[in-house]
Amino acid sequence: MRAKRLVAALASAALLVGIVAIATPAQAAINICKAKNVKEAGGLDNLVAAAKKEGKLALITTPRDWANYGAIFDAYEKAFGVKITVDYPDGSSQYEIDTMKTAPKSKQPDSIDIGPLVVAQLTPPGGTPMSSPYQVINWKDIPAAAKDASGLWFGNYGGKLAIVYNTALTPAPTKASDFTNPAYKGYVGITGDPTSSNQAFMSVLAASLGNGGEKNLSDVTKGLALFKAVKAQAPLVKVNATNLGGGTARVGFMWDFNALGIIPAAKAAGLDLKFVYPSDYVLQAPPYINAINVKSPNCANARLWQEFVYSQNKGKTAAQLTAADLKLSGSKLFAKMQGGQNYFMQSGADPIMSKAMEKKNLLVDSLLDFKVPSTAKVVGPPTISDVLAAREQIISSWASL
Amino acid sequence: MKRRLDIPLIATLSILGFFVFIPMVSAFEFSIRTPLKGGYGWDNYIWAVTEEEFVHYILRSGWLAAATVVITLLILVPTLTWLHLSQSKIRPFIDGLSLLPLVIPVVAFAVGAQISFPELMQNTVLELPFLYFVLALPYAYRSLDIGLSSIPLKTITEAARSAGANWSRTITAVIIPVIRGSVMATVALTFALSLGEYTLTVLLHWDTFPTWVTYVAQDNILGAIAISMMSLILPFAILTGLTLLMPERSSQGGK
Amino acid sequence: MGFKSIGEGASTRGRAFLTFSPRSFLPAIPFLLIFGYFFLFPISRLVYVAFLSNEHTLTLSNFVTAFKEPYKTGFINSIKIGLLSAAITAIPGALAAYFIETRGPSKLRRTIAVMSGVLANTGGIPLAFMFTAAIGLQGRLTKILKAAGWDIYAGHFSLGTFTGLLIVYLYFQLPLMVIVFSPAIVSLRKEWIEAARNLGANQFNYWIRIGIPLLFPSFIASFLLLFASGFSAYATANALTVGNLPLTPLQIGGLLDGNVSAQQLNLGKALGVVMILISAMAVVPYLVLQRRAAKWQQR
Repeated sequence: MRAKRLVAALASAALLVGIVAIATPAQAAINICKAKNVKEAGGLDNLVAAAKKEGKLALITTPRDWANYGAIFDAYEKAFGVKITVDYPDGSSQYEIDTMKTAPKSKQPDSIDIGPLVVAQLTPPGGTPMSSPYQVINWKDIPAAAKDASGLWFGNYGGKLAIVYNTALTPAPTKASDFTNPAYKGYVGITGDPTSSNQAFMSVLAASLGNGGEKNLSDVTKGLALFKAVKAQAPLVKVNATNLGGGTARVGFMWDFNALGIIPAAKAAGLDLKFVYPSDYVLQAPPYINAINVKSPNCANARLWQEFVYSQNKGKTAAQLTAADLKLSGSKLFAKMQGGQNYFMQSGADPIMSKAMEKKNLLVDSLLDFKVPSTAKVVGPPTISDVLAAREQIISSWASL
Repeated sequence: MKRRLDIPLIATLSILGFFVFIPMVSAFEFSIRTPLKGGYGWDNYIWAVTEEEFVHYILRSGWLAAATVVITLLILVPTLTWLHLSQSKIRPFIDGLSLLPLVIPVVAFAVGAQISFPELMQNTVLELPFLYFVLALPYAYRSLDIGLSSIPLKTITEAARSAGANWSRTITAVIIPVIRGSVMATVALTFALSLGEYTLTVLLHWDTFPTWVTYVAQDNILGAIAISMMSLILPFAILTGLTLLMPERSSQGGK
Repeated sequence: MGFKSIGEGASTRGRAFLTFSPRSFLPAIPFLLIFGYFFLFPISRLVYVAFLSNEHTLTLSNFVTAFKEPYKTGFINSIKIGLLSAAITAIPGALAAYFIETRGPSKLRRTIAVMSGVLANTGGIPLAFMFTAAIGLQGRLTKILKAAGWDIYAGHFSLGTFTGLLIVYLYFQLPLMVIVFSPAIVSLRKEWIEAARNLGANQFNYWIRIGIPLLFPSFIASFLLLFASGFSAYATANALTVGNLPLTPLQIGGLLDGNVSAQQLNLGKALGVVMILISAMAVVPYLVLQRRAAKWQQR
């Protein structure tokens, strides 16, 4: 009798264990595409493993020489064996939104990096959001004003606008109002179309500051007036790496965090470029914004990419990673690598988590060699409503300037 | 034929040559500059061909261009042969259709493609050779049309058919060799157009050689110019060389 | 294969479309299918969407905006650059075609045909590079001219201005003229000049009474084609300017690829439709002229 009861007890225990064993993996069947944070993705190790399996990350309009992204790409690709592709690096923030709306699934980006100029389009009123909510590991270190509460978008890095110029230009420019100097005729320009490109838009705003419009950030008429005066002398040129390197563009506004990418490229073409902040007013722009595309084709990489970009770690760069490091498990490897926030810091950008990182003593040094002059006043950042109001002004008058 | 120096011809060729080659030579000079070392050198070219993605993109655009040429010849040669032989009433209509792509700006065409084709089509890179075919059509059609007009097509075809050849043999073994001058010109311009096509490719989110060159230009402008030069000069040189090496065809009646 | 036998041929006189039987068009089907799907279909959708408002209702508002500033200036500039680039290269191109076709040995003619084919298709960034290297601010030719005393950058000139762009356009318009006009030269039969001479005409009379009148329709037709080409060129203008030289293809490009924003979402498509109409106004006369010229050009 006792043996029978013992067998029954053992059988029940086995059954119980069996049920639990079957039930637990069912709970652990994770849908990474719906994961809203690293825990829902099964932990960092699982996320890295899934990303490695996907093997691809699709980005959009993110040039290598922008805010040190080249170094970030190299580190990510080397560590996780993932191939990063970038659709139309020269494109604008608006192009990113339009692509998300119209491109076929295989051409959709996983993650976007847009300006505040277009972020409102991610959450159309009365429609479904175009991005998937996600909150990175150190979510609380992102200031509340720079993120959407549910994780639909989150600020990434910010910058100030500086003046880039070819040292062959004399006299050297010191502020926006210098742009109308007849000695610069035919060499002054802008990085793109300010109705869609965030950098170009902020350039008009910076020009406005330097032309008497520093009191009201929602009104860029003074900035438009400055560019109109420049255009009256000679058409505006496109200020990009190609033209700066070719000598056809010699002065304009550009993000300070692009200096480290642009200067060596121009030097390789035989030209000497310099960046200075305007000596009167310097525009502190609102941060660029990351979001995960709701149509993202590589869900694990879309999320791992965010974790990497928002990682606050000090650590190794791509060249410093050893073969042994690469064999480590996901989270251990991750911990050894320098995080995206510090890569941005090195480029001179202001990483969104800088305040928290400063407290934790995690910030590395910026490699920028120029500073805001003591005479200058840093203005901004403009609010989203400032940006949208100014954008309307530009849309209605830029084309016929 | 007169054998003395043909002044007007030489003058024409010299002026044309000047006009055509000055920009090319200037760009070539740019591309062999090595500002970091001073002076000139092949550094930019060496960098270009050792770039790991160079071969990948050249091959990619190369086979897309080759596919375009194949599609163009496969569709146009039989169709035009038939149009010439049958004197069909539909010929003016098709002549007109062939010019339409000239009338549409490429940008508009690209957006039309973006908003019309189903996902399946837009996901395959095979849509590109067909779209390039459309872009090359005005030139390719004319070129082949002229070639066929300048030969005694009826006579040749009758001869081949009565010798027992079927239509595909007639076209491939008889007609094409006779008009090979204009076939070469068609191949040249279709290939050049497809290799350099940028606008349509970018708007449809594909990456090919020209889009890669633009990408590269951001980091290394001189390298990008070197690559550009190669992509211009090499097809040019190869196609011209092939044309020069092709044996003369003996002229039969007419010019 | 459905070809008619060679002896018969359908009469080409008149437009008796109603008497066609569909079977006689069988060989054209592959071409029509491919062309229809890959070209006519996207273009018709484009035309349709041009008539849609932001709320997806039918409207003409996109077209109304298309004729206001800055798009009006865009059209005017585009038409100007088309006309000028065609006008400047038409006669030189025709002369070049004449000398090459009538005096060049066969190998030369074929080589020029191939080279022209490649050159007529240069555009966009490679072409922009070439001209920047030649007559850009740091260009080789710029430096040579400056040393010779002529600073081309003393005034308002730059490659991104209307004049600069026009000069660059000549680079592909000239080969295009050679390609397009050569067949007309080739069709001027040697027999005719001999016959004219036998009748007592000298070179001059031959040209005035026979050569030029015969070539004239083809010349105008080629000019029109060149206009269409210059009018709708996009990649080169895009590579050399930054949206401050209003040109319709650029305006369309900016609106359509998301690099420029406007209040009306379908404005770009409407601009495209207007461009199609303007180009059609050049191409339709071209077709008519070519058909008439083809009559005497047939063997």
